[in-house]
Amino acid sequence: MNKILVGLIWGLILGAIDGATAGFYPETRNLMAGIMVGSSIKGMLVGLLSGWFARKVRSTKWGIALGAAFGLLFAFLVAAMQHAHYLEIMMPGFITGAIIGFLTQRLGEPESARL
Amino acid sequence: MGGPHGQFPSTQLSLLEAASSGATLPNEALERVSALYWKPVYRFIRVKFRKNNEDAKDLTQSFFAAALQRDLFARFDPAKASFRTYLRMAVERFAANQHAAANRQKRGGGIEFEPVEEPAVTAESPEQVFEREWQRQLFALALDDLHAYCEGFGKQLQFEIFEAYDLAGGDRPSYAGLAARHGVAETSVTNYLAWARRMLRQFVTERLRGVTAGERDLRGEMRRLWT
Amino acid sequence: MDLNDAVLDHLRHVAALPDVTGTRYELESEIGRGGMGVVYAARDRQLDRRVALKILDSALAGEAQLIAHLEHPAIVPIYETGRLPDGRAFYAMKLVAGARLDHYLDGAPSLGERLRVIRRIGEALAFAHARGVIHRDLKPQNVMVGEFGEVYVMDWGVEAVAGTPAFRAPDARLNQRSDVYALGALLQCMFPGTAPPALCAIADKAMQADPAARYPDAPAFLADIERFQEGLAVEAWSEPLWHRLRRFASRNAVLLWLLAAYAGVKFLVFFLRTP
Repeated sequence: MNKILVGLIWGLILGAIDGATAGFYPETRNLMAGIMVGSSIKGMLVGLLSGWFARKVRSTKWGIALGAAFGLLFAFLVAAMQHAHYLEIMMPGFITGAIIGFLTQRLGEPESARL
Repeated sequence: MGGPHGQFPSTQLSLLEAASSGATLPNEALERVSALYWKPVYRFIRVKFRKNNEDAKDLTQSFFAAALQRDLFARFDPAKASFRTYLRMAVERFAANQHAAANRQKRGGGIEFEPVEEPAVTAESPEQVFEREWQRQLFALALDDLHAYCEGFGKQLQFEIFEAYDLAGGDRPSYAGLAARHGVAETSVTNYLAWARRMLRQFVTERLRGVTAGERDLRGEMRRLWT
Repeated sequence: MDLNDAVLDHLRHVAALPDVTGTRYELESEIGRGGMGVVYAARDRQLDRRVALKILDSALAGEAQLIAHLEHPAIVPIYETGRLPDGRAFYAMKLVAGARLDHYLDGAPSLGERLRVIRRIGEALAFAHARGVIHRDLKPQNVMVGEFGEVYVMDWGVEAVAGTPAFRAPDARLNQRSDVYALGALLQCMFPGTAPPALCAIADKAMQADPAARYPDAPAFLADIERFQEGLAVEAWSEPLWHRLRRFASRNAVLLWLLAAYAGVKFLVFFLRTP
């Protein structure tokens, strides 16, 4: 499978998991559905961009860095929409993005594999 | 015997070539043969016929004198055996004839008595003794040639090192020891030895060529010698 | 000059450089005795380069014809075959400047280096086996490591002379699997003392007394070595759980660190936040 697809799938999975961890906080329990959807979309976006990057550039280091950056960005946007929970959203989002970036580098076929 | 000639081993004429002019061999060729074969024949006679020193010497001299007169070499057929084998068999025949003649004399005359016998000092057969002595004499002559060559061409150092190592009776010195003793590098010791051995081989080959009857005989003897 | 027997024998031995007139070579020195003949360093007068000249005891060209058509970076190239004036066959091949494997190992090369060498040897074997050539006498003395790190396997097709029992498979047949046995023995001797258990297991598997229990061929052996080098599970070794976990952890270190960071961040945020 190509790297963009890898990014989308893992982004979805990890985004969903990340969103699910919001269940630890009692005040968000009733918003779980929305949170999980939003988080999944966030993850997929990060995965898409990381996957696209991974097709062009083979570098685990930069993949992680870029994934983390995208994760941080989208997490910031989400937090900004709510004007709250910046820390709780951005920090895990940052790491999740890093993981997605790593996975898109390691898994899937790079562009050059199809010749 | 084996007079030194201080020049590069000149290609000797084989016996066949030397004999090509006539039925008898020129003196020079005969000298080469006796230089190499005298001692082996002597030792062979001593062991095979149990002669004492004096008798064996006499018999050996007689053999070579007779060989000179009797075109011994002209009857040699290289296809059948090597010259060395042919010569040994000729010695056997000659000595046996002499022995029988001497016995006939004794029987006709007075008391019979056996010549003073010394037990054969070797566990080898007379044939093995003959071959061994032949090898020994061959190398001895070649060493004389090598020595003379080194003297003539200013390679005394090489010969000294060669002598100290390859002719050492007991324990061989180390390369390092030799290098130190002669004031040269250890690699030089290796090179000198390799050179001297190559030269020795050439001298042996030339000596051998002068007492064999052609290329095939020579090659056969070489193969026998070096394996 | 009177020569005693010992000196005479010695002279016969050292002066025994064969006659090579009629060939284009000049012998320089003897560099080894093995298999069916003697190897000399020689100079090719025509091309003005040094070569190795192997002179066989018999008139058979032997190994030369066997490997002359094998072109492989780890199989020493044959330049020419011929016959000496005394009837013996010889062949000229590349003179490898380097060290024999046993001497090379004295220099304590790294694990990676050793594995590289054993892989080159295995590749040469695989190549030859695929073309129907069995080595039959693989041992450290028959492997050279050149000055640029290139590896050469030499003395092909010669039946092992009594003297290398350590590398000779117990079953009498000489085929691919006996070469695999020797390969295992080589691996073992390349790691005297402490070797990773996976490598020991690979060597043991290659050296099973029952040929059917060994690796079927050189590529299978190589595949396991490769797996070892990539941190994967090795076919020859059923590793204990903790070892498997350790291996997994080292292979996936980055991911595990990221996951740990995620968990850490989550906990941190959670506990920071809670009043």
